[in-house]
Amino acid sequence: MRLLITGVSGFIGSSIAKKLIQEGYEIIGIDSFLDNYPKKIKENNIRELLKNKRFNFIEGNILSLNIGKILDQVDGVFHQSAIPGVRASWGINFNQYTEHNVNGTQVLLEASKNKEIRKFVNASSSSVYGDVNELPISETTPTLPISPYGVTKLAGENLANLYFKGYCIPTISLRYFTVYGPRQRPDMAFHKIITAIILGREIEIYGNGEQTRDFTFIDDAVEANLKAFLNGKDGEVYNVGGGSRVKLNQAIRIIEEISGKKAKLKYVDSHKGDAKHTYADISKGKKDFGYSPEIDIYEGLKRQFEWLNDNLDIYR
Amino acid sequence: MPIDEKLLEILACPKCKGDIKLKEDESGLVCETCKLVYPIKDEIPIMLLEEAKSFGETK
Ligand SMILES: NC(=O)c1ccc[n+]([C@@H]2O[C@H](COP(=O)([O-])OP(=O)(O)OC[C@H]3O[C@@H](n4cnc5c(N)ncnc54)[C@H](O)[C@@H]3O)[C@@H](O)[C@H]2O)c1
Ligand SMILES: [Zn+2]
Repeated sequence: MRLLITGVSGFIGSSIAKKLIQEGYEIIGIDSFLDNYPKKIKENNIRELLKNKRFNFIEGNILSLNIGKILDQVDGVFHQSAIPGVRASWGINFNQYTEHNVNGTQVLLEASKNKEIRKFVNASSSSVYGDVNELPISETTPTLPISPYGVTKLAGENLANLYFKGYCIPTISLRYFTVYGPRQRPDMAFHKIITAIILGREIEIYGNGEQTRDFTFIDDAVEANLKAFLNGKDGEVYNVGGGSRVKLNQAIRIIEEISGKKAKLKYVDSHKGDAKHTYADISKGKKDFGYSPEIDIYEGLKRQFEWLNDNLDIYR
Repeated sequence: MPIDEKLLEILACPKCKGDIKLKEDESGLVCETCKLVYPIKDEIPIMLLEEAKSFGETK
């Protein structure tokens, strides 16, 4: 079986590819090496994969490739390409977010019409919810994004639903809750905190650190993709959380414990668009396709710390 | 290891969406219509207009 992964050299895309190759699938991977972070980091993400004969990589932009012809050749899609990140979505570069997150998704869905695609798994985000009063957040919680990024992810998800209803494309959207672990994007909190601790540098924490997050270990997010691909219900959206809710300050204490070093923290104003708390109700994914996260925050941070400690050079 | 045959079949010129041909030395993919060569580096086809090189007369 041959599967397409967009955004394959990114954090989550490369991790899905690794797993699917292990499972025996053939992969066509596409990435344009967008400059949201350095190309050498993304190249490193797929370096091992490139040695595998079942991994075919195309450096290209889904908006300009002849995606229809590619879709003729695949049995499933894992659509991971996007510009991620909440903070940079405010301001004059918003058109990039609409281009990659909304137009990119539409182009892929449009090209999926009348193809024999078994499943189109679309990467969505907990940011579609915004600030929620009642926790945990279930899939029926109203979607009221508080960042421009969240608006584009919600648009992408709505498009996926529309193409399911209108053209029977078997789409599923997975709403990831803060994914972390080896190869995490360098703009994300744990990556920055661990790096600062290793290098003995000061690190800025947005807000008072008492915000809580449902952190999802990368292997669990990958497992959710594979399980949703195999058994998810077409046209549905699913939360993908890590199964526990942790304060950012608690996570920092854990990293200090793992590293045996003290973090030099500087608390600064929180950013517009960051939700105060996230906590996912993951019972729907559990019921429909047996999603059950296995890695807790301590084990997950330990793995991220060890990986980053070994690979820090790539990021400097 | 040369570039995968199946991959070549599904690639097209990102500019005109027309067919492309593998250069004899396998260093790139040629679109005759646009007079562009898309480079292949380490067996990776780079299908980006910004990376393409023009050849012949440029209009
Ligand atoms: N990391 C998280 O915690 C998180 C949380 C919620 C949702 N998501 C979503 O998961 C997906 C993957 O996120 P990530 O953290 O791996 O980000 P990432 O930036 O590491 O990966 C995304 C990749 O997509 C590529 N890309 C972007 N536009 C493209 C285009 N037009 N054509 C080809 N390639 C393109 C980029 O070059 C990049 O390598 C995204 O859709 C993101 O919105 C991530
Ligand atoms: Zn052309």
